[in-house]
Amino acid sequence: MKPTDFLLCLIDASGGKVPGRTLLQKRAFFVTELIGEDFGLKFDAHYYGPYSATVEGTTTQLKNLGFLQESSTGFGILSDGFEVRRYDYSLTNDGEQLLKRLRTTAEYGTIKAATDRVLAAGDPNYVELSIAAKAYFLLKKKGGGSMSVAELIKQAEKYNWSISPESVDRAVDFLSSVGLAAGG
Amino acid sequence: MQDYLEIRDPVHGFIYRESHERDLIDTKLFQRLRSLHQLALAYLVYPGATHTRFDHSLGAFHVAGGLAKALVQSDAEKRLVRLATLLHDVGHGPFSHVAEPILQKHSSKIVFAGKAESKIHELISAKIILENTELREFLSDRDRQNIVGLLDGSFGHSYLHEIVSGPIDADKQDYLLRDSYFTGVKYGIYDQERLKNTLRVHEDNDDMVLAISIDGLHALEQFVLAKYYMTTQVYRHRIRLITDQMIERAIFLGIEQDNIGWLRALYSYDGTNDFIQEYLQWNDERLMNEVLHQKGSRVKDLFDRLRERRLFKCIFEVDQNDFPDPSTRNFVFAGSKDFYKPLEEQVAKQFGFDPNHVIAYGVTFNSAIKTESQVPVLHKTKTTLFDDESALFKSVDQQIREQHFHIYAPVEYKGDEKQKKKKYREYKEAILNMIQTLANPKQELPLA
Repeated sequence: MKPTDFLLCLIDASGGKVPGRTLLQKRAFFVTELIGEDFGLKFDAHYYGPYSATVEGTTTQLKNLGFLQESSTGFGILSDGFEVRRYDYSLTNDGEQLLKRLRTTAEYGTIKAATDRVLAAGDPNYVELSIAAKAYFLLKKKGGGSMSVAELIKQAEKYNWSISPESVDRAVDFLSSVGLAAGG
Repeated sequence: MQDYLEIRDPVHGFIYRESHERDLIDTKLFQRLRSLHQLALAYLVYPGATHTRFDHSLGAFHVAGGLAKALVQSDAEKRLVRLATLLHDVGHGPFSHVAEPILQKHSSKIVFAGKAESKIHELISAKIILENTELREFLSDRDRQNIVGLLDGSFGHSYLHEIVSGPIDADKQDYLLRDSYFTGVKYGIYDQERLKNTLRVHEDNDDMVLAISIDGLHALEQFVLAKYYMTTQVYRHRIRLITDQMIERAIFLGIEQDNIGWLRALYSYDGTNDFIQEYLQWNDERLMNEVLHQKGSRVKDLFDRLRERRLFKCIFEVDQNDFPDPSTRNFVFAGSKDFYKPLEEQVAKQFGFDPNHVIAYGVTFNSAIKTESQVPVLHKTKTTLFDDESALFKSVDQQIREQHFHIYAPVEYKGDEKQKKKKYREYKEAILNMIQTLANPKQELPLA
């Protein structure tokens, strides 16, 4: 399945919309991890966790082809004068038309099942997913296999990010719930 | 005392190299880069663009040296960064990136070993650095392994690799300025000194990554815009797209239809030293001369056209707005390329072209920022990403990814501009119909 089809299926399986570029990146990362296939997305290590230039480019491609709609929401102005904005993506009518064919494929079922698992595991926000994704990505790169909750917390504490202990807890709970971390 | 030697360079002024670096520059391996044009046949569009991989490798080496001096603590790592950048392009073959799809197609799959096929010249570079006898004379086994590790990202902290190969690496920092200078296009110019002086090494978990101080935000914006404009104005110039596609098609025909053994061998990397020995004997000029001696061949026919600048013309150009039906739009711009060949055959049949001389080509102008979006931006008390920080790119970047679909053919328009437009409309209408039928074999859909 091509990256364009994968992203259409992922957004459809997410209820037809995904709030935020970062959330889309991290959700795509975990869905591919759960399936065990990267669909050509090629995630690399970056400062705020695994990032795929293909997801970024393909999202823009789908938007320009008229299959996704982008809307942005402002969240105010920071003290340094910059505005915080979130970019949300939803399927257009043309995108829905393509989904009619995609929903009949076996890959769609696999993507839907993996997305359901991610959503059922507490539907974390983009910060929590970023914490979880970075910890999981780094530890997997080091040794692979299932990692303990203690290891994950230790890993996340090394980040130089402004994150609360509650966010780390929810990230760890998420990884345990989807079966990507061992308890203890 | 170090023995410094100077080379005068039109882009950077004086390039200083040490005596051990001069030894590498003087090898036949490195001197070969003088005979590989940096931009293939772009000189057919920009007459000044005759610069080579040699000039660029020296320029990138100079930039990497400056970055290493500013950012790298260890002398041993500084030396490796300079050497890795100097040697980063030794794996390029005739017509460099233009011929890479042919190399990917014909090479043994074993050589890729899980790595991206699009990086084949990097795999060949690594093989050369590890095993070339000239390099072995001047570099230890460990040096050569570390240089290859630095190039592929497996050696040392991430920032060392990022100086050589990353979103704001020395390679891009040189080629934007150099290609701009030699083409005469001013869009590739940015403040390299400011960019260098505002880059920082930032701790990230157990790693060290390349970041930029908030003071350098505008220099990075300027660099990213330079890359975007050079892509649209030079690297994806409409005539250059045609010459690149003609080179690729010519080599393809030489291998597949003319059955020229040496040409197939040149583009069939099998991971052996024998291949590398032969590969290093070739350059742009030798390939051009050899194919021009292949009398009656298809490859000669196309290279004759290129040499005489009798180029194919674009007879069909569409973007997504030409296809109101979503499945056809998806078929053309997001589907597989399997329909290109049958479409080329149909166009050839209807308009009386040789089917080998009809080229279907999908061209994408990527967003201005790609991995640059993830470059950390350092403030006094926090770290953000370029994507979030740059007010300029927040507003423009997402709008500028374009996709087009072209067909090139050897047409000679006769008559005045009005007749030319009429002929072009005739091509467009017929080819749109062909595409609609290929995309929806069971139904006829309305035209745009």
